[in-house]
Amino acid sequence: MNSKRLALFAGIVVVGLTAAACAPAAQPTPASVEKIVQVTVPPVEKIVEVTAPPETVRIEATVEVPKGAFSTPNPKLADVRVRQALAYCSDRLELIKSVYALLPEAEQRALIANSFIPNSHWAYAGDENLTLYPFDAEKGKRLLDEAGWKQPEGAPFRVNDKGDELFFKFTTTSAVFRQTWAAVWEQQMANCGVRIIRQHVPGSWWFGDTTGTARRDFELGAWAWTGQPDPGGQSLYACDQIPLPENAWVGQNGMGWCNEAASQAIKDANNSLDRKSRIADYAIVQREFTRDMVSLPLFARTNVFAVNPNLTGFDPKIGDENFNYNIAEWEIPGKDTIVLGWTQEPASMWLLVEQAQVAIWAYGMVGGYQWLSPNYDYTPAIQEKMSTIENNLATNADVEVKEGDRVQDATGKPITLTNGVMIRNSAGEVVEFNGTPVMMKQLNVKLLVIKDLKWSDGEPVKKADFELGFNTDCNRDAGATTYIVCDQVQAVTFLDTGFDVTYLPGAQPSTYFAMASPFVIYPSHRVIESDGEFKGKKLAEVPVKAWATLPEIAERPIDVGPYVVKEWVKGEKIVYEANPFYYKGAPKTRNIVISIITPENAEAQLIGGQVDVLDFTTLTALTEQLAAAEKDGKVRNIVLASGTWEHIDFNLYLP
Amino acid sequence: MALQRMRTCQRAHPLSACLMAGYLVRRLIQMLLVVLLSAAASYAVLNFAPGGPLSGKENCQQGQRGCPTPDDLKRLRAYFELDLNLPVRFARWLIGHPRGPIEVAGQTWFADASVGCARPVERSVQLASGVFETQIVGCAQSVYLADLVGRRVSEGVLRGDFGRSWTVLRDRPVSDLILDRLPKTLQLTGWSLLLALLIALPLGVFSAVRQYSVFDYITTTLAFLGSAMPTFFFGIGFILLFSILPRGLGWFHLPPGSAEAVRPYDVPGLGTIQPGTVLDLVLHAILPVAVLTLVSVAGFSRFVRGSLLEVLRQDYVRTARAKGLTERMVISRHALRNALIPFITVVVFSVPGLFAGAIVTESIFSWPGMGRLFLLALNSADYPVAMAMLFITAVLTVLATLLSDLAYTLVDPRIRLG
Repeated sequence: MNSKRLALFAGIVVVGLTAAACAPAAQPTPASVEKIVQVTVPPVEKIVEVTAPPETVRIEATVEVPKGAFSTPNPKLADVRVRQALAYCSDRLELIKSVYALLPEAEQRALIANSFIPNSHWAYAGDENLTLYPFDAEKGKRLLDEAGWKQPEGAPFRVNDKGDELFFKFTTTSAVFRQTWAAVWEQQMANCGVRIIRQHVPGSWWFGDTTGTARRDFELGAWAWTGQPDPGGQSLYACDQIPLPENAWVGQNGMGWCNEAASQAIKDANNSLDRKSRIADYAIVQREFTRDMVSLPLFARTNVFAVNPNLTGFDPKIGDENFNYNIAEWEIPGKDTIVLGWTQEPASMWLLVEQAQVAIWAYGMVGGYQWLSPNYDYTPAIQEKMSTIENNLATNADVEVKEGDRVQDATGKPITLTNGVMIRNSAGEVVEFNGTPVMMKQLNVKLLVIKDLKWSDGEPVKKADFELGFNTDCNRDAGATTYIVCDQVQAVTFLDTGFDVTYLPGAQPSTYFAMASPFVIYPSHRVIESDGEFKGKKLAEVPVKAWATLPEIAERPIDVGPYVVKEWVKGEKIVYEANPFYYKGAPKTRNIVISIITPENAEAQLIGGQVDVLDFTTLTALTEQLAAAEKDGKVRNIVLASGTWEHIDFNLYLP
Repeated sequence: MALQRMRTCQRAHPLSACLMAGYLVRRLIQMLLVVLLSAAASYAVLNFAPGGPLSGKENCQQGQRGCPTPDDLKRLRAYFELDLNLPVRFARWLIGHPRGPIEVAGQTWFADASVGCARPVERSVQLASGVFETQIVGCAQSVYLADLVGRRVSEGVLRGDFGRSWTVLRDRPVSDLILDRLPKTLQLTGWSLLLALLIALPLGVFSAVRQYSVFDYITTTLAFLGSAMPTFFFGIGFILLFSILPRGLGWFHLPPGSAEAVRPYDVPGLGTIQPGTVLDLVLHAILPVAVLTLVSVAGFSRFVRGSLLEVLRQDYVRTARAKGLTERMVISRHALRNALIPFITVVVFSVPGLFAGAIVTESIFSWPGMGRLFLLALNSADYPVAMAMLFITAVLTVLATLLSDLAYTLVDPRIRLG
């Protein structure tokens, strides 16, 4: 009897699981699906209750919405005085102190962010061109009074004429770091009579592809953006980049900010190759951005390093995350091995399929870096020069395009030119193509590496290696995330020391001067030694589809950088030894080891002398233990302002 | 037929052997079902959970180099097989099929059978709360059986091929990851289990025999402490006490973490230790093994004590004493053997743990073991790696169950299987 019951139960479980498993595969991962149909508005159906499956949605109440979604101004945030008041009431120094308490006050002050571009960036507009919001609670209170939000005697929070309380729903992640400063900010707002209802949500939801910020599901929302040498920003601040159901949620302008001057300027900045005009365009965007106060920049996060006090040559730069760019110069007197403690292990050394920061660093020791970006600007390294128009390594000529030509349209998509397509003409204007030939800009760039480079096996770098690089990185079978640059290229000629690239008319990539995938090299001569069907073949003969699986690519690549991979014990260590053919001569330290450790054990290993370098992926802030160890002479701590900055976005419209 | 075989067996062999053979066959079939069921459940749970290898790919600045286009997303979904229906994915993971249409005598069957969706159709609906929800309402382009031809696929876990890692060790074999870490985990968990048994058994026995003695009070207190305090407390405490502080004082100290050194190091009293030597490995293993042992000893000794106390109250123990047997004989011959029967279950069920590792201890000591790998695989949505570990753990668990049942027959003659 018991076994019968057991069998019945097991049967029910099996049937249940089978039924569950028969659901379409796409359902659990709606995040990654292509948006083909996006039409429920206008009008928007307000669904009170939804039953699955979606085809049989039961609508109990339908509310006609006169306008599209996110077109109703937020009654509180629509008033710029309220937004500015929130900015004046925010004491950003106090927020910084709450999370970076061990920093000297001067360094804390240096972290305060005034704009969406870091203060030391070449595109920063300068304090004098921005509306600044130094902490001034009284001014904030006055602005709120003017906006009609008064604080009754003895009442903790402000109300308007109707008696509605001034409160905001504030959403951010549940990271301890954010919980810490958010609690302080909540109190600062309360001091100005503004109630903040904090919601700390999982990062997976907040940054999900179909949830949180991606669906503008916030009133006030905090997260971080990362500043780059090229500021970009078009998808963040242009009017046509406001995510809406109607446009398949395209864009990242979750604030719903549409300022025509700023929108035009950010587009111009992202479609210009001239730095002076770009600086001017970014100045306009920053001026409007800070004046409208649609997003409150708070502070830059820190990049913390802790190293062996005897380590010399270690010199990380603000604006360049690749702190090991000069690892060939590192040295600890009396030691032939430097140990880097990493809490994340690279998934592959093939950067086409793996772009995690640790993979870039791990490969950087093998391949070196084509260029560097100290202080958010570009400096050539393996690349001979930055290939700019100014130094004649690039040209941006006017060419005539006609129907049927391949061009890049105004949205950045490579297309075949037909009537009705919007394109950007050579004057920079967006025009509709009507069959009449149009002049467009066409970019040609020579991307060259320094001469006489040798692979770490002594073989000279040659034209075939450049050819293999481009053809591999642009092969759809390679498994890359995107081929957007490949699609922008009209023609490429392979040279002995680089590439001569001609882009499609209309393609104006702002970082055109910097070598990056698909303009890379691979050792076409390398013979596959690992067991398998490709053993004995040259790399150039192996189908691209199989590259990611090759140990010669994924684990033991060879390149022209200072070190070669000697051994990789998964989960434990990656051992490098000096490249005898390194173009700058022998590295100062013969061996480098990446020791894979855990965050819980990292500081103990540094203080215990097992590792020599901990970086900011392990250390989120300077700890008391490290500060004390520095006083005892056991470690040296370095804290830099990172390009990553915290901010609070104001959603100007209701859904 | 089976009955006939059984009768033949009974004629040729003693009854117990035939019963045992039949029992084992039944158990193996049950075990296979349980493993398959657990694999299906684990696969479904992992794949239904939010996230996945493409999560966040869209959350990047459009137009930038790394931001995928809709065509890129379609290609990537196919790369990770996310465009296939779950049962099809599961079958390919389990047995390496289907790989395309069925071909019989030059005839192709089911080539146009739909096995997934390459281009799902989404719709945004607004809920009463104002929040927009994205729903999949159809499929604009199906994936057919014929489309699977040429796609890479593993041989299937039933044939020992766990496929390739998605994110932890991109496109490299899952077995590489497991085989690299398994020896380290076995080293850690094996030594700690052995030491725990060697320490806990005498402690538990002595504690039970000397119930309410000072020794019993001390071991009981320590056992409660060991059970109640979290592993990370002991881990951090040990690192401080036996590594950081003595090193600062220039005394003998142990390495604070990792399974072995990567360069020579000095230890007062031992001189310069070369990495990878036996001494180096032992020094690195002492602290994590000690922590795991401590925690296990606490639990095991309490269990043995309790079990033995219960047996010591039985009539047959009283009878043995009444017959004039020495206390040593009573304990070792009569009481302990019976007291250990339930303990066998506890010990045998530690076997899957030997493989699965100890997540907290491994994390505290940077021990490159299976526990950390499992955590990493889950955090980075590397389902092939996570599934491989869940599958192997499931197999080991059912094997441990069988082992436990078989062990009962060895220690208790009253128990018969069949």
